[in-house]
Amino acid sequence: MSERASFRGRIEAMIADFEAGQTVDPALRDALIEDLARWQATRIPEYGRMQRRGPWPPALPTDVFRFRRIAAHPENQDIRVFRSSGTTSAERSIHVYRDLSLYDSAARAAARHMLFPDVDRIRLVVLAPRESEVPDSSLDYMLARFAEWFGTECTWAWDDGKLDLDTMTEELRRAEESGEPVALLGTSFAFVHAEDGLGNRRFALPPKSRMMQTGGYKGRSREVEAGALLDAITDRYDVPPAFIINEFGATELSSQLYETTLREEIEGTRGPRRLWAPSWVRATPVDPDTLEPVRGDAVGILRIDDCANLDSVCCIQTADLARRLDDGIVVLGRAAGATPRGCSLAVDEALGPT
Amino acid sequence: MIDDPSAIRERAAAVHEAGATLRTATIDQRAAWLAESADWLLRRASSQSAALAETTGLSVLMVDWAARTTLRTIDAQALLTLASQARQSGREPIAMLSVILAGNVFTASVRGIVVPLLLGVPVLVKSSSRETLFPAMLRDALHRTDPRLGAAMDLVAFPGGDPEREAALVQSAEAVAVYGSDETVESIKARCGDRVLIAHGHGVSAAYCGSHALSQARIDRTIAALSLDICAYDQRGCLSPQVIYLEAPRDRPALEFAERLAAEGLEPLTEALPRGPLPAAVGAAQAQWRGVAEVEGTLIRGDTFAICVRDQEPIRWSPGYRNVSIVPTAGLGAAFDAMRPFAANLKCLGTDGASSAAVEKELSRRDVFHAYACKLGQMQAPPLDAPADGMPIWYGLLRV
Repeated sequence: MSERASFRGRIEAMIADFEAGQTVDPALRDALIEDLARWQATRIPEYGRMQRRGPWPPALPTDVFRFRRIAAHPENQDIRVFRSSGTTSAERSIHVYRDLSLYDSAARAAARHMLFPDVDRIRLVVLAPRESEVPDSSLDYMLARFAEWFGTECTWAWDDGKLDLDTMTEELRRAEESGEPVALLGTSFAFVHAEDGLGNRRFALPPKSRMMQTGGYKGRSREVEAGALLDAITDRYDVPPAFIINEFGATELSSQLYETTLREEIEGTRGPRRLWAPSWVRATPVDPDTLEPVRGDAVGILRIDDCANLDSVCCIQTADLARRLDDGIVVLGRAAGATPRGCSLAVDEALGPT
Repeated sequence: MIDDPSAIRERAAAVHEAGATLRTATIDQRAAWLAESADWLLRRASSQSAALAETTGLSVLMVDWAARTTLRTIDAQALLTLASQARQSGREPIAMLSVILAGNVFTASVRGIVVPLLLGVPVLVKSSSRETLFPAMLRDALHRTDPRLGAAMDLVAFPGGDPEREAALVQSAEAVAVYGSDETVESIKARCGDRVLIAHGHGVSAAYCGSHALSQARIDRTIAALSLDICAYDQRGCLSPQVIYLEAPRDRPALEFAERLAAEGLEPLTEALPRGPLPAAVGAAQAQWRGVAEVEGTLIRGDTFAICVRDQEPIRWSPGYRNVSIVPTAGLGAAFDAMRPFAANLKCLGTDGASSAAVEKELSRRDVFHAYACKLGQMQAPPLDAPADGMPIWYGLLRV
């Protein structure tokens, strides 16, 4: 068995254990990160140049994905290329894949656990382009898989490069009439544009309906404070705040983090709104000078070690500010001055100024 | 505290009116007043250094250094020399200047306010929302020295980008000086109409070290001077070197010099002139820059600084805060070729003494460069009469 196959087996087993409801020992995850990073450093010259400091392997900054192809395999084995948004190539991160099965396993397991723990399938309304329209968007890829894995049916409320408010309204009215819950999935920007465009149209979505929004505002205009957007969405769609959750993803990652409120509401355990990292992911705010974990709930920059990044680099240093909250983290947004990135921006470009 | 538009207009009118009285004083009187104000301000800044450290984000020792090196350039003789140079044109001073300050280098207000007052131009200043203490101390110093001088300078405060307040700020002015980002400059330009705009927009600086600077006899001085240039104001100003072009001899490569710069220059300054606290946003950018530097070059890290030895391309601008690149170069010509892509934004080129004549010659020979040259160790302490953005410091203050 090749080393890669061996790593792949360990990661798959970890995800499978999680899906089976078994507790995954963080020490096992940490050992996997350690071994995987060591292997990746021998295969990816850019990562191999980074020096270890402290107890953990070095974390590759997300900016490197803007300048270099980061992969442990040759280019001719790429089967998919995901790009972050941005207007110039220098602003766009590129993450290449030779195999999407781990991405799929990770995305499915995390979404099942946090977004769809109480329903086998549900009607989906997606406020984003179809995968075929933006094949290099990891978000649109993931939403298309959600349609396959979790959708009884799926409607893309998106037409000709922009949000289709009439289709969205039609689908939500249909949900109201049928009493069948619906999951509305899109970027924060898309929800803001819906707020701007729907005017007086309001909805009373059936119980168990839910919303998943992703992406920040990336330093763009028309920012809406998270609490205000949550209030506006609750008010417009009549969905309880606990059922409106954020997903945190990035082009450079293969796994996603989700807010805890929906799952905790269903379990009857209520904690503060925070991001949960799946058991094959380690999310840590670090000190910008030492790059070591910050103490307590101090603000640091978010490092994410994602075992599902098998063929690139699993240890990633983002430019997002974050702090710990209970057993999760809160992302405070991208630092001003850091390169704007993310799926949310691409959608806003399509929607145009508001 | 945010001033409303009517208060801004009232202060502008009062300052404008005070200009006539100011101009009744002789140049000698104004120079003496300004020198006295600088002395008083230096003492005041020293006693208030902890408060200034709080508002500027610099360490107390850095605040002391910055106030000292800046205010000591304001002596009567230097002021008279500058006035004499400016008056050679025989032109009259404008009636009033409005100044918009940035928050990155707190002492930048000194030259921007003292020089117009010296020439008889009253000044209305919008201070940075981040740092209002030092401009207020400067205003107090002027008032205390002479009421005619004090009346000719006042402060207003409001968040940038407010069209009504910005219009009120420039309404009475004959010229407007702007320190800040290119976006700020563009925004003010749109409100200036036919007023003269003195733009101090986005800029970077670099240093050049010829091989002489690395000789056994000179390397210690070179390291000390470069370290001071890098650490001054925590490398937040546009006069801070971002890139050092190094003509390293083959037997003594750039990496060796970088290691000595770290150990003998930057490390000792972490105690003598400590870095201020790192803002979270800068910390995020720093982590990205350092990581990219490690991938693309060789990174030497200290607790509060980092040096990257790398090729000349691509240029990766650091977030400042003592993160600097060293680029080995074949010589002066090659260094100028490497700087050409950012020549229009190059503000200052620090240079070792042995190379300074050649650097001056290259700067004058290459039209795209508007930077001024200065010796290493003085990049962040420009003399009173140092040009700004390729123009004499009195540019815009005298009528055409």
